[in-house]
Amino acid sequence: MDGGNVSVEKDMEQSMAGAGGGASPGMGGAADGPVVRNDGRAGFLKKQRDRRRRRFSELGALSISAGASLILALVIVMAGYDGKAHAFAIHGAAAAVAGLYLLAGLLSVALFFAARSQIDASDAIGRGVRLTGLALLPFAVCGNVFAAIAAFTLAVPDRTIEYRLAGFALLNNLTVMLIAAMNLFKEWVVWTYPTCMLLLAGTLGVYAAVIFVMVWVGKREKALTGMSDAATGHRAGGLPSPNAQAVSSGDTGGQVEGGVDGRTKAAFSYKKLIPLAILLILMAVVGNIFSLLLGLVIISKAANEGSRKIIGWLDALTRIYRNYMSVLGLFIIGILFTLALCSTFLFDYELATVNDYAHLLNPPSIAYPFGTDNLGRDVFTRVVFGTRVSFIVGLIVTAVPLVCGGLLGAMAGYYENRLDNVIMRILDVFFAVPSTLLAIAIVAAFGASLPNLIVALSIANIPVYARTMRAQVLVVTGSEFVEAAKACGRKPLAILLRHVIPNSLAPMIVRTSVSIGIAVLSTSALSYLGLGVDSRIPEWGNVLRVGSNYLETNPYLAIYPGIFIIVLVLAFNFLGDGLRDALDPKLK
Amino acid sequence: MKHLQENLGGVFQKIYEKWLTRVFLLALGAVFLLPAFLYYLLNRKNSAYKSELAAIRLGFKADGTQKAVAEEVRAHVEKKFLFFRSGPAFQAEPDAGPVDVAPPLENAKAGQGIEKEVARLLEVRLDEMAKVKLRKESPGLGDVTFAAYVSNLLQRGGVFACFVVFGFPAFLFLLLMGQPFLKYTFERLVMMVFVVFGVTFLVFTILYISPMDASYNILGDLATDAQRAQFNAAYGLDKPYLEQLWRAFKGIATLHPGKSLMGGQEVMAQLANKFPITLRVTFFSLALAVAIAVPAGIFSALRPYSVWDYLIMLLALIGLSIPAFWFGMLLILEFSITLHWLPSIFLPGNLKVYVMPAIVMGTGLSASIARMTRSSMLEVIHQDYIVTAKAKGLPAGTVILRHALGNAMIPIVTIIGLDFGAMMAGATVAEKVFSIPGIGSWLIDKQFIPDTPAVLAGVVYIAIIVSVVNLVVDLLYALLDPRIKAKIKLG
Repeated sequence: MDGGNVSVEKDMEQSMAGAGGGASPGMGGAADGPVVRNDGRAGFLKKQRDRRRRRFSELGALSISAGASLILALVIVMAGYDGKAHAFAIHGAAAAVAGLYLLAGLLSVALFFAARSQIDASDAIGRGVRLTGLALLPFAVCGNVFAAIAAFTLAVPDRTIEYRLAGFALLNNLTVMLIAAMNLFKEWVVWTYPTCMLLLAGTLGVYAAVIFVMVWVGKREKALTGMSDAATGHRAGGLPSPNAQAVSSGDTGGQVEGGVDGRTKAAFSYKKLIPLAILLILMAVVGNIFSLLLGLVIISKAANEGSRKIIGWLDALTRIYRNYMSVLGLFIIGILFTLALCSTFLFDYELATVNDYAHLLNPPSIAYPFGTDNLGRDVFTRVVFGTRVSFIVGLIVTAVPLVCGGLLGAMAGYYENRLDNVIMRILDVFFAVPSTLLAIAIVAAFGASLPNLIVALSIANIPVYARTMRAQVLVVTGSEFVEAAKACGRKPLAILLRHVIPNSLAPMIVRTSVSIGIAVLSTSALSYLGLGVDSRIPEWGNVLRVGSNYLETNPYLAIYPGIFIIVLVLAFNFLGDGLRDALDPKLK
Repeated sequence: MKHLQENLGGVFQKIYEKWLTRVFLLALGAVFLLPAFLYYLLNRKNSAYKSELAAIRLGFKADGTQKAVAEEVRAHVEKKFLFFRSGPAFQAEPDAGPVDVAPPLENAKAGQGIEKEVARLLEVRLDEMAKVKLRKESPGLGDVTFAAYVSNLLQRGGVFACFVVFGFPAFLFLLLMGQPFLKYTFERLVMMVFVVFGVTFLVFTILYISPMDASYNILGDLATDAQRAQFNAAYGLDKPYLEQLWRAFKGIATLHPGKSLMGGQEVMAQLANKFPITLRVTFFSLALAVAIAVPAGIFSALRPYSVWDYLIMLLALIGLSIPAFWFGMLLILEFSITLHWLPSIFLPGNLKVYVMPAIVMGTGLSASIARMTRSSMLEVIHQDYIVTAKAKGLPAGTVILRHALGNAMIPIVTIIGLDFGAMMAGATVAEKVFSIPGIGSWLIDKQFIPDTPAVLAGVVYIAIIVSVVNLVVDLLYALLDPRIKAKIKLG
């Protein structure tokens, strides 16, 4: 059914072998190996306990919540440290926020130990701990998304993909509102600000309701699948979390009443949820990718209701959701994407572009969180508007080479010999010039502007995609199902389009995520060199270029925008790792 | 001697098959091969072979064999078409629409297809049969190609001596091509020449169609049109595109790319000053990256999913995500401005200046090497031969270093080779941040003019270095992996 089960069994084998190896003296040499092995029964029990703990992703979420909250509390305190005066000077509000983070961290630690001892004792987390976990939810209001994620994870035992998506959709809009709320401390806000904030607040209510609906749907579905399990010994095409599976196939009776319940209720249809799905997709217009995904999940489940076919992308999405870091990456991308789309309505573009000689080189304050630059422009607003440029460049510079390079590579790999030679020799020329150098040459020759930058980076990226695609197409073309298609008399073009390309896309998709991150880095690097976007446009590289001139006196001008770049690129890299694992056929 | 002759004969036939090596062979051994070709034309039994074949084919037609074969082929093809019209393959296709149940032979188009297929298969079958028959009847009669003919000639002592004397370059070439590695290297080098010309063409064209005007940027906006024309004439910028391109090719090939438009110095002299600095920075960062990343990756792979593993991989991911110039600025802020440990500007002869650039450029590289080391070690470590080595009681250190690391090195070396090009380009940013007078920062300054000879020479020579490094990496593979060695030997 899924990778979780297989890996559990594999672990079991390994731990048995380890226990056996330790017990028999003849295998002593192997004990020096990389796998740490414990002796006898105690070691086996420890392994068993660890395995049982690992099944509960609640523990992971709680420990990350605890660690992140405590570290962030420390960071906020340290930010108030004045290196020159060797003294702490913490703003009252900052101290309060740090206190809240500390509280969330301590609560997470307490919940973690409580949940762990319950798991060790009864292989389940009790209702009391789960309800107490909801106390972590309000910390989202001070920006502690880790605590909120832990609360969402802890609140419901069987988390369906719909429930998780709804939770993240809520958190996404909430976080964007919090970032925009920083504008309240400014002297004025843009006129669309109140309307937009109210609309966002409205969506929060809708998402909260959706979460409850999804919890209900999850219970219903579980009851139904429990029934069909009993009837056929099979699980329908639903997507239970590994946890749910563990419980239902395990030995505890904690969830039995759900199954009994389900037998008395009428069959539930996803078709009833389609209006909700359409609403969710419409609400995604602010840039909330979780809302969009949730709508698509519901529609595709409704469309495939009754059939046992596994929907490929849904399967991959579920897999991504097993990896905390890749979900976090997706979440960060979602927030910044929403911010990029909403920035015009929530932030004042004039603050980012118009010179203000009354506020030259101000240090960070509550009105100007990242300070102001040498022309009095608000660096925070400039960074927020910079996300727009980064996303535009990143998406186009990835999409164009994906299509062009992908097609070239597919043709080169599929139609061997002459065409392959021609395409690959031409690409060799492009490949011999390092891509940054090629981009520099193109931009310098045609002038620094956004379109030129996009063209340059696109051209520089085509050979990499073409090579990846060609290698994959070569592998796929040699496989048996393509041979079968040929034997069945399909036309070569049809085989290429219907069989070869769809099966070669996985490495391309993984590369896409990583290469958006690289595009963001290249854009800012080129802007820093004066070869990117027009220096008046708020773009991360431009902001950093200004900051680099005041490194000695006003280092914060360069530090904060750099952190934004790292966070966005890191998010894409996390997502890329998650995608790689999710699409890896070996792990399926 | 006999052995050498046989060997060279075989090599001759083999490399005559590929057009690239054939051109070289013909050009180098023209003095010997031209008379040989004339003899070949005279002695060729080709015509006899062809006429015999035709005679046998006529015989087939006369004795009814052709008809029988045609019947057989037609039955086969019709069966095939029938099967695919209504066979299981079409029902499996979800969007094929309703299955066509009508007899397919009534369909005119299908009928035509069948006729074509029958004719093609018949021709193939008859040809094969005729060849088999001919070989049985008169085994001496063969279809001798030029390569086989020359190869036979070379087996005679006198002819071979002639070949060594008159076709000496070709003889040396054959000797060279007899060595698989030298042959492989030679082929790659020839390909590289094409790539270098391609790069020259590409970069020159970009600079040529660029709207920037070098005379305007160098002479300033106060210069008169006459002065500009004089400047363009002095540097040959008024010549037509093809002539300038030809000059660029010539300059690159003869290592005399001409004078820089700005200041009029020899480009080659400037490059000779800049390249060592950039190469030194690249080398230091590479050494640093390998020294840190390979042990870290191995450590991570030995304790997968432990806290240390997660930590190292998180650090590596952060290393991949840091913008190089920002990291460089932070280092300057901390180590030059606050702590005064390292110089923030370039001082010739002071090795300290390379510390920060090496760290900045090494970060991204070591991140990717560490990730690659971990994944390739994890793959190798679970293979059977490692288990065997452990079961035999080999110490853990030996197993890891001698047996696992050797095989795990291949993808690591690939990554290093691929990243080398990116490093040469990445040096551009680091050089700008740390104001190092290397090739990268020099190129950027020249780009804005655009100083065509300088930019062209810089980019093309970087491309050559990158290509050579990639070639060395590919040859290293063969040292690391016997499987690849065997592949190269097979050609």
